[in-house]
Amino acid sequence: MRIRHLTACAAALVALPALAGAQGKVQKTTRIPTPRAKLASECTWKPADAWVKRQAEFFDESRHDWTNDSLRNALLDAAGLKAPLKIPVQFGVRVEGADSTPPASAAAMVDALKTLASTRGSTWPTRSVVGAAGTHAVYLLVGLDTTLAKTALHRMMEAGPAESPAADVATLEDRLRLLAGRKQIYGTQFRRGGDGKVELAPMEDSAHADLRREGAALPPFKLGLCMAGAGKGKV
Amino acid sequence: MRSSVFLVAVSLSAAFPLTAASQVASPAIGKTTHVSLASEAAGREPKTFAPLVGSWVVTKDAGKNVLFIDGRIWKRGQPAGGLADKARELYGARNEDFIESIKAFAYFPIAVYKGIDNFENGEISVRFQMIGGTLDRAAGILFDVKPNGDYLTVRYNGTEDNVVLWTFNNGVRKFVNRAATLVPLELGTWHTLKISIHGTSLKSWLDDQPMHDYTLPRTVSGKIGVWSKTDSMIEFADFTVTPMSR
Repeated sequence: MRIRHLTACAAALVALPALAGAQGKVQKTTRIPTPRAKLASECTWKPADAWVKRQAEFFDESRHDWTNDSLRNALLDAAGLKAPLKIPVQFGVRVEGADSTPPASAAAMVDALKTLASTRGSTWPTRSVVGAAGTHAVYLLVGLDTTLAKTALHRMMEAGPAESPAADVATLEDRLRLLAGRKQIYGTQFRRGGDGKVELAPMEDSAHADLRREGAALPPFKLGLCMAGAGKGKV
Repeated sequence: MRSSVFLVAVSLSAAFPLTAASQVASPAIGKTTHVSLASEAAGREPKTFAPLVGSWVVTKDAGKNVLFIDGRIWKRGQPAGGLADKARELYGARNEDFIESIKAFAYFPIAVYKGIDNFENGEISVRFQMIGGTLDRAAGILFDVKPNGDYLTVRYNGTEDNVVLWTFNNGVRKFVNRAATLVPLELGTWHTLKISIHGTSLKSWLDDQPMHDYTLPRTVSGKIGVWSKTDSMIEFADFTVTPMSR
């Protein structure tokens, strides 16, 4: 079995605008603040890991079973994504302030999603509408607007696990909880302390974090901490 | 390690054998039944409750057996294993209607308490701890469970921070009443949900804080238990029932 190391994870993350930014930006890179030399022995995952397989199942687009290609393409463009997405798509690691600027077309699409969200009875772009990659684009774009993100999270939860990527739902919920002054519950949000070290944002019930993360198709908590370089200084 | 056994309080164990419906006596008025899982096997389905929808197992929490609904393996429209046998145990020959209705509700995990055949008036409480759930984190008290699968539930949902009364009739869920107060609860902490029913009066409390004071359109009668929703991961403990006269 091929084992990938965090260097590979980091490369995958760099290749994907996988995580939405906290301050209204889509990030194209996740700046893993840990020297690569240290990562190889610490942060590993395998394609056969349950969370990776679940993401692979969700993001499998080998069958064209969505209905709105034009919306899908617009979403992918606005989020800076290209299908098929590289698996795993969502590592659940977001370091505040490590977000890059979104594509210029993102703002218009955010406005379009706002209109959609505020229109009663409108069809939300779920997996069966815009495909799995399209739903991840939605996740990235709604992260640019906190009010929209709240509505979107509700829509994503309502749509259920077959229509919304669970790892994205979990990561978005963590971020919104922090913005609302509550503690995160999955452990996906990190920030830099005064000393420049990456630290886990306030979290409740870390004892059951792995149960929750397993349910959400996120990597084990320990791996998330490792990938974020929690406790490590700036690179 | 997750395992179980809900034990009825010693004083009532003789009165409420936990086997076939025909052997379950009516509850003694004014006597409180504290359901314990102490003698059940961790990692197994509970014996004191009949899990009809969802994956219910007994598990350990701080060394104590508790009932766990494991939403990690929830799938839409999938009743618990052995549903037919469990329904037969609860409702005998009338089990087919029950099964059909329950299949329609497979979105909502339920486990029916085997120790009381018919609850009409009194109090039911349960302690619960939210562990997780991406879509829902719902813990409810199930009551008025009819042989055709209709039922009522008062539940707390941690994704909405509210307590709501729902009714399920002929496979259709309908909102009845939402308590006005929003109560955000931390995951991994224990809380108590309680209802009291006297005739058509329904009251509910969350951690002793009043939630509902509602008049039902009719009196209730039927089995009771615990309720959850979709992928919720909830631990339940100290299911307590006090039947009372109206």
